[in-house]
Amino acid sequence: MMKKIQVIIFAVVFFGISVLTWVTPDKEYSESERRLLAKLPGISMETIIDGTFQDGAEKYVTDQFPFRDRLRSAKALFEYKVFGKKDNNDLYEIDGHVSKILWPYNAGSVTSATDKFGKIYESLIAGTESEGKVYVSVIPDKGYYMAEAGGYPAIDYDVMFDQVASEMPYATFIDIADTLTIDDYYKTDLHWRQEKLVPTAQAIGEAMGLKLDGIGSLKPVTAGDFRGVYYGQSALPLPEEEMVYLTSDIIDGAVSYNFETSKEAPVYNLEGFEGRDPYDLFLSGATPLMTVTNPEADTDRELVIFRDSFGSSLAPLLLEDYAKITLVDIRYIQSAFLGQFIEFDGQDVLFIYGTTILNDSFTLK
Amino acid sequence: MIFSSIPFLYYFLPIVVMLYFVVPRNMANSVLLLASLFFYGYGEPKMLLVMVATIIFSWALGLKIPEKKWLTTVSVVVSLGVLVWFKYMGFFVESFSDAFGVEVGFMNIALPAGISFYTFQTLSYTIDLGRGRIHPQKSLLDFAMYVALFPQLIAGPIVVYSDVENQLDARLRKTTWDGAYEGIHRFCIGLGKKVILANNLALFVQDFQALAEDQRSVAMYWAYAVAFSMQIYFDFSGYSDMAIGLGKIFGFTFPENFNYPFISKNISEFWRRWHMTLGGWFREYVYIPLGGNRVSKGHWVFNIFMVWGLTGFWHGANWTFLAWGLYFGIFLLLEKFFINKVLDKLPGAFGHVYTVLAVIFSMVLFNADTIGDAFTYIGAMLGAGGSLPFINEIGKYYLGSYGILLAASIIGCTPVLKKFRWAHKIEPLISVLLLLIATAYLVDGSYNPFLYFRF
Repeated sequence: MMKKIQVIIFAVVFFGISVLTWVTPDKEYSESERRLLAKLPGISMETIIDGTFQDGAEKYVTDQFPFRDRLRSAKALFEYKVFGKKDNNDLYEIDGHVSKILWPYNAGSVTSATDKFGKIYESLIAGTESEGKVYVSVIPDKGYYMAEAGGYPAIDYDVMFDQVASEMPYATFIDIADTLTIDDYYKTDLHWRQEKLVPTAQAIGEAMGLKLDGIGSLKPVTAGDFRGVYYGQSALPLPEEEMVYLTSDIIDGAVSYNFETSKEAPVYNLEGFEGRDPYDLFLSGATPLMTVTNPEADTDRELVIFRDSFGSSLAPLLLEDYAKITLVDIRYIQSAFLGQFIEFDGQDVLFIYGTTILNDSFTLK
Repeated sequence: MIFSSIPFLYYFLPIVVMLYFVVPRNMANSVLLLASLFFYGYGEPKMLLVMVATIIFSWALGLKIPEKKWLTTVSVVVSLGVLVWFKYMGFFVESFSDAFGVEVGFMNIALPAGISFYTFQTLSYTIDLGRGRIHPQKSLLDFAMYVALFPQLIAGPIVVYSDVENQLDARLRKTTWDGAYEGIHRFCIGLGKKVILANNLALFVQDFQALAEDQRSVAMYWAYAVAFSMQIYFDFSGYSDMAIGLGKIFGFTFPENFNYPFISKNISEFWRRWHMTLGGWFREYVYIPLGGNRVSKGHWVFNIFMVWGLTGFWHGANWTFLAWGLYFGIFLLLEKFFINKVLDKLPGAFGHVYTVLAVIFSMVLFNADTIGDAFTYIGAMLGAGGSLPFINEIGKYYLGSYGILLAASIIGCTPVLKKFRWAHKIEPLISVLLLLIATAYLVDGSYNPFLYFRF
């Protein structure tokens, strides 16, 4: 009798979950994982025979499983607390800070990136008035400040910095690693906090001969609370944190122009903060080509930044010394086409990329 | 479709279980057969015809075998011919081409999943019919259900016909609450073994294999070998547990397939505890017909190598598998002539250590792409060349990160947990927890390899 009751209880749990999988409405997007969820694939004899329907269906039912986020959290906690795993899906947490293991070192990827930068330099910059005004900097990922202390594998960052500097002899290397600490990054995101970037911007400004007189009086404004991309990827139950941006009359008066959408926007886009990636607050997020014009500028000096997403929050801090900053993201535009949009005739040029992109640079075009 | 997947667990299985218990008993086998054909066709739509043709051929031949015994030979030749064609022809042609430097144009033939399992089942049927041990199954439906029954179709256990002959008639097959209880618990244990232990161990194995040569260490080579041995064990025995559990839910009693092989004191015992249905099949249908051990010493040595060469080859069409089988054949001979006599004089722990080491080295061979690779790995484990550090920083990290899993796996390989009697009282809770944890892993899209594609 006891076993009968236990079988019935198990059946209720098992069939209950099964029924939930059928009746739970489909979601289009996972907020925590920041990605579109799979949809039920189209079915035909061809897709059944070649197995693509079955593969798609498995992705669909896995993505749309009820309580998906909670189950992913349960799995992450099980890995950490029961198995004592040091990372879950290559992500690890120390004192509330989540970081991703960046290892092993991929020297070939770094060379591939610097080769692309070199081609841009040779084809567009060398021989122009911008020659001699080229700078490069590497943004350490959080592992630079966390990995060694936590006993996690990490690349040899100094080797990467040296490689970048030696493979870009036409550029002045700006070392910013010592201007940052782990607390200058969001706990649940890979990005740095703009309100903590003043020393970094000053180090870059000093190397590039900028005054940045007003940087000390920038006004912090809280955009709101958010959880970063590592929150979803790690599936750990972590609290929200504040996103703060720094502004001034100069920044408030500046206008960005997105070449992809042909639209103008302010430097800080609060709609972007409410969107899928809150870091889109800064210059409206990822885009191939953008200019930021400073109507208050008392100079005609210009800057071209080749950058990844970190550059979006850095550029506003440099704006006071430039009439125009052009931001280029060659993850989204072929380097070969840049000549159609940018003419180098004396602008400063800054290549600034994160270690994560450099160590896995296949996305650079 | 595999057991450790969301589509199977929460879509296929609930529907099949519900239909099975709702329809009248005389339709229960139809439900199981249709479910099994769907199960197989879902994963292998193109290969469904091969299995169906094998079933019909063996069934039709089986009806005539009692009167025409020579048809047994036809059955064996054709069934093995189909198996050889799909599983080994590419390997034979490639080996011939390599050996003689001859370019032979040949298409790479896809291997139908589970062909080694269902071919051995149909062979057991026709051979036993020829021996007069069983009666022909007159119902094509019941026979087809026996061969295609989804719980044991793609990863065993190998259920010989005589094992379940009396269970094939749905009206005689009993489904009980006790059976359902045991089946559910057994299934959840197997699911946990596969998803929580084996898949995590596979991740360690994968991480190790991704390391560059200069990042490896002696300790990591050993950890890899132990982890892969555990992975294979938990994956395979987990699948068997799930199969046996599902069988119990539907009223079948499938033979046991694993019985804590890592506690064995010699290799002979290991093989009485590891993949028991395969060992039993080869003993019954190859070793004994060859004369077993009731022949001259030379003939017996030949029989041992024949059986173990075939056993190795059954696991995959590669020289490594053949070598793996022969490796065990050599150990069995050495034990008979020498090792067991020595072990008998030593404390039991020596036997355990010897067996575990022999098995761990064998698993390195099992997982190697080539025999040369296996020697390289085993050489590294033994510190050959002296260039590898015993442990390095990355090794410390991985061993620290996977240490508890490895320790838990080693404990799980022994019957130690069975001694905790209180655990029996919370079996239902354990079942639910294992189901939920395994589901959490599957939902996270964790690494979930399927090892049986080459069997």
